[in-house]
Amino acid sequence: MEKQEMGESKSMAVSQLQNDSRLHQSALNKEKGEIINVYMGIDIGSVSLKILLLDENEEIIERLWLRNQGSPIESSQEGLKKLRKNLDDKGILDKIRIKGVGTTGSARYLIKSVVGGDIAKTEIIAHAVAASHYFPEVRTILEIGGQDSKIIILRNGIVADFAMNSVCAAGTGSFLDHQATRLGIPIEQFGDYALRAKESVMIAGRCGVFAESDMIHKAQMGYNKESIIQGLCDALVRNYLNNVGKGKEIESPILFQGGVAFNQGLIKAFEEELKTKIHVPKDGLNIMMGAYGAALLVKEEAERTFKITREWNTKFRGFDVLNLDFETKAFQCQGCPNRCEVISVYMHNNNDNDENKGPKKELVARWGDRCGKWAVY
Amino acid sequence: MVKRISFPSMGWSRIAFRALFEKLPGVEVVSPPIVTREIVKIGAKVSPEFVCLPFKVTLGEFINMIENHDVHTFIMSIDCGPCRLGFYAPIQDKILKDLGYDAEVLPIQQDDLLNFKWAKTLLQLSNVTNPIMKYVDVIHSTRIALIKMSYIADITKLEGLIRCREIKLGDTTRTVDLLMNKLDNEWDVYNLHNFDKVVKREFSKIPIKRNIQPLRIIVTGENHIVMEPFINMDVVKKFGEEGVEVHLVNTLYDWILHKLHINLKRKKLEKLAKPYIPLDIGGEAMWVIGHYIEAQSHGFDGFIHLYPFTCMPENTARGILEGQSPDPFYLPVQFYSLDEHTGYEGMRTRLESFIDLMKANRENNPKFMNNYQEPPEIKAIFDDKTQEDGISRFINHIFTPLANNIGIILKNLFSSEESKPNTREN
Repeated sequence: MEKQEMGESKSMAVSQLQNDSRLHQSALNKEKGEIINVYMGIDIGSVSLKILLLDENEEIIERLWLRNQGSPIESSQEGLKKLRKNLDDKGILDKIRIKGVGTTGSARYLIKSVVGGDIAKTEIIAHAVAASHYFPEVRTILEIGGQDSKIIILRNGIVADFAMNSVCAAGTGSFLDHQATRLGIPIEQFGDYALRAKESVMIAGRCGVFAESDMIHKAQMGYNKESIIQGLCDALVRNYLNNVGKGKEIESPILFQGGVAFNQGLIKAFEEELKTKIHVPKDGLNIMMGAYGAALLVKEEAERTFKITREWNTKFRGFDVLNLDFETKAFQCQGCPNRCEVISVYMHNNNDNDENKGPKKELVARWGDRCGKWAVY
Repeated sequence: MVKRISFPSMGWSRIAFRALFEKLPGVEVVSPPIVTREIVKIGAKVSPEFVCLPFKVTLGEFINMIENHDVHTFIMSIDCGPCRLGFYAPIQDKILKDLGYDAEVLPIQQDDLLNFKWAKTLLQLSNVTNPIMKYVDVIHSTRIALIKMSYIADITKLEGLIRCREIKLGDTTRTVDLLMNKLDNEWDVYNLHNFDKVVKREFSKIPIKRNIQPLRIIVTGENHIVMEPFINMDVVKKFGEEGVEVHLVNTLYDWILHKLHINLKRKKLEKLAKPYIPLDIGGEAMWVIGHYIEAQSHGFDGFIHLYPFTCMPENTARGILEGQSPDPFYLPVQFYSLDEHTGYEGMRTRLESFIDLMKANRENNPKFMNNYQEPPEIKAIFDDKTQEDGISRFINHIFTPLANNIGIILKNLFSSEESKPNTREN
């Protein structure tokens, strides 16, 4: 039924995304001995790392989701290690040639310099590009991730307007995670609890702190968990629409992306508030949209560059990046009273040892200063 | 007794403020250092939580000056205008006294400059006893301050226009620093009147890319926030380095002219904004709307509105801009609500996305195609080589040929001396 609603416009790409039929095809290619050119999209957010491989026909070959561990550098190395293992298990590791790497998310520049990315684009653009490929008719994108929430207005496939939470993080994934822990239920079941609720409790949604104290108060009054969670979902939707979506023309079709889109209770609350259907990318693709967009963007970039200069070489360091050690150093610049903290990222190549000085050090990135005199990207 | 005084810096405006007080007898001016993280931190600690950011920043500057520069008298503007700015001086004075500092904040009335209440503060500071001679210094200082203000406005305007065109990154910033330093130390009225030639000469030295059509944006909002680069995370520079032509419309000079009731530009903007906001509600709300309408009709690509997080007038302006979009207000707009935070990451995400959005508009939206007009200032600076001022004429026509000739003569002399022994040997 849902398929009928979305109609034919949902494009053929979608159905192909839904069942990973591409994997079988790549296996076929393997038999033929062909090399598949792929583009990698890496989305590194505050909570998790997403990697997605896209072939030249814009079909997904491999995808990976990983909770952030330690620094973004460590988790990106961990991610690449896991990706290599997955590809090896499928037996297509040596059949794949990575033609470009696009990074997005809040640590995009760091990861770009660590793995050797070709482009670093903001998550807003990446999400918009992915959404308009996945669902060409989309006019509004709601995106709620781990630490930030955004709204993107698309008109004719072009970003017409966007907004991002700038002062308050209420309603984002981390906040919900925290509240779920407080109520003693696993975050995965958060949505189910909300759906079971018979009535909703009024909870103040203006600010994360108010919401939390209000919620505790309601729990002490004896409301059951279900209705509190439902109330929380309603409050967060109100907060989102007032804060991020203020003054924006929210027109359907609406696509809901990001990790929080797993939460059925929130989807229901959005549908009731906006009085229209909310679409969510299938197969858990809602969390991969940033990486998907980054891969699409780097593919576009590669093709455009190739068209003009007849040349395109990726800066990807290859899976060898796992043998490299990265070290970050911070120092305080004494150039002016601002005393900026400047962060430098050094790369040690363990394979390339200098006898006297130990491993060779190479500066790959440096930033953090206001004036830009130290900046290396 | 010589009184050491200081004032909030407000970006480059500190040069104009310094000029206003420097030549008063009995006053020693200590120019405020640039705003830093530490200063904002001190100010935020002792301020009421929900007060506007400029209050916190200026208070932080005062405390920094008391502790590190031994200044105990500060000048702060007051207003009987509609927003909180009017009460900054008395409240800051009270907070400083409550903290136990022996300091005073002298108000300077900027409500209506034509009623000359502001001159009272200057007269009070001056230690000249003759009641008529007192006025001479005040008039002189005001004149110099006004001239300097106008040049600060010119330089900051050109900075935004030229940075997107520079070939070597950082040339414009260096030139601006140089010019501002020169302006700060120039006290001769004749030289000041001819300072525009220096500005032109220095800027024309920057190698630029001509014939490009960069994206054009207007940056405006609350005066202090727009003019203080530390607080607004230097958006003018950030956009410029990304290749966007920035038209910075808020300047101190503009504001002073407005308060003298001779700013025709602002009168025009008020007329434009009238249907949406019929009266001045404080801050820059009315003119922000006016600038928006004007920018839209002049074919700009974007609009940046900067304001302190809790500023009432600017929040109202934001509401109006958002409420009228996308019809009739279709120009893309970004709002930056700024507070004590110094993290740049979220801002960078929005800035880069906004640039991508504007680029896509240029390519796909007929409303934004082919309406780029090169600002006349660029042509005036970089194309017009015929007009030379005295110094460059001297250098080009007298000094350089002379130096060349002397060089040739010296070279001949030395080479002949060197060659002589050789010939003898031969």
